Amino acid sequence: MKDHIETTTAWVCDKCDKALVSQKVKVRYLEGNFEVDLLKCPECNMVFIGEDLALGKILEVEKSLEDK
Amino acid sequence: MAFNPLSMPLESLCPICLCTLDAYIYEKGVNTYMHKECLEHGVFTTILWRGDSMREWIRTKEGAHIPNPITKVEKGCPYDCGLCSAHRQHTCTALIEVTKRCNLNCHFCFADALDGKSKDPLLEQIQFQYESILKVSGKCNIQLSGGEPTVRDDLADIIRIGKELGFPFIQVNTNGIRLAKDEDYVKALKNAGLNSIFLQFDGIDDAIYKKLRGKALFELKCKAIENCRKYGIGVVLVPTIVPNINVESIGDIIRFGLSHSPYVRGVHFQPVSYFGRIPKAPSDEDRITLPEVMECIVSQTNHMVNLESMQPPGCENALCSFNGNYLIEEGVLKPVTKRSCCSTNIEKAEVGANKAKAFVARNWSYEKQVQDEKLSDWDKILSAIQNNTFSISGMVFQDAWNVNLERIRDCCIHVSTTDGKLIPFCMYNITNMEGKSLYRD
Repeated sequence: MKDHIETTTAWVCDKCDKALVSQKVKVRYLEGNFEVDLLKCPECNMVFIGEDLALGKILEVEKSLEDK
Repeated sequence: MAFNPLSMPLESLCPICLCTLDAYIYEKGVNTYMHKECLEHGVFTTILWRGDSMREWIRTKEGAHIPNPITKVEKGCPYDCGLCSAHRQHTCTALIEVTKRCNLNCHFCFADALDGKSKDPLLEQIQFQYESILKVSGKCNIQLSGGEPTVRDDLADIIRIGKELGFPFIQVNTNGIRLAKDEDYVKALKNAGLNSIFLQFDGIDDAIYKKLRGKALFELKCKAIENCRKYGIGVVLVPTIVPNINVESIGDIIRFGLSHSPYVRGVHFQPVSYFGRIPKAPSDEDRITLPEVMECIVSQTNHMVNLESMQPPGCENALCSFNGNYLIEEGVLKPVTKRSCCSTNIEKAEVGANKAKAFVARNWSYEKQVQDEKLSDWDKILSAIQNNTFSISGMVFQDAWNVNLERIRDCCIHVSTTDGKLIPFCMYNITNMEGKSLYRD
């Protein structure tokens, strides 16, 4: 999947020493597949998810898919 | 006798005198039955579960603690309901009966409502009941029931009182007749804050409505759903499933619901129970059990819904219900739930109650989605989930023949009484053969 947005940020991958870029990443939770912009190392493809996102929108999406 | 008693003793009631009886559950072939004996009124056996072993379905829970019980344990279960301090589950949904009147005369009605001239409770009385619920159970989900709540012209005021007190989710249990005929009324309910309707919906064929409800109603059901769509009110289709009447319609009902998603949020099946005055004890052939409903869902949807996607509840007792949560992808249901294969863990009832409350409030509500290109990716996902989730569930109410007092103690659906008590739903509705009830006025 070719990225739509590619912007460099202040974050740097500790392992590769490369600036993270914002790219479309495929996310899978339960049976749902989604595609979202996330910060990613262009070298090792490790994705960075900040605390705000993890405890914010991602948690909201997780909860909205949870059952009883 | 040719059956093997299992180590599942329990307590039940005599369907004649409503005194407590020791009972036990036994398996015969693939079926599971309850056996009980009243010294005065004889032996009663009732089918509980046809098909796969009932024991594998059971989820063991650590009972919740009721912090502010209204009643003390004095006479013993089920004669102290209020909730009493021995109750094992919080309120997930509290029911308020806003009228005893009804604009239908159904053959099957747990409320035994009629088009009578009985006086409706005043708004002050309903406010008192909301406040009583708030004290004991906090901001749980509310269902306004009856009778038929929409016979009241001030139903919007009743909803508004609940919303102003902070109840996040209010649902009206309705036959939909007035919602079909009176669009302004629907609009007023929405403006007052109504989130969802629990729509009596027994099939897509008028022959079913004529048998169960005394008249053709399908067109009115469709119109009611359309009006809810127009104003952004979630609809849950609620079929009462009765052997020899609409068991074969289960698949059709699900397909109808799907074709009206996202405003139809799901289908909630209720296998028939026997309340009120009845001439003779219901036979096992008059009952359809939960595993049979699940089997019908699988076979009648041509396996679009698979059995493993339906799971026992974490909130109420496992024997009361099943639920499945799905995402609709190109018209097909994809399960989000998966039945756990190792259910030996003891779960906390309180955790189950909180999850169920949140699930119902989220998945049974509907808000019209605004198309906004400026939404972030995550908000688009949230919006897509809201638009594409669909729930399939079922709950079997207990009657005087199959009641299991442990299920009563585990109950999370509580009826608010005029004196501010909360009675577990089935206990409120159970009647003996003469129609006598322990709790209903």
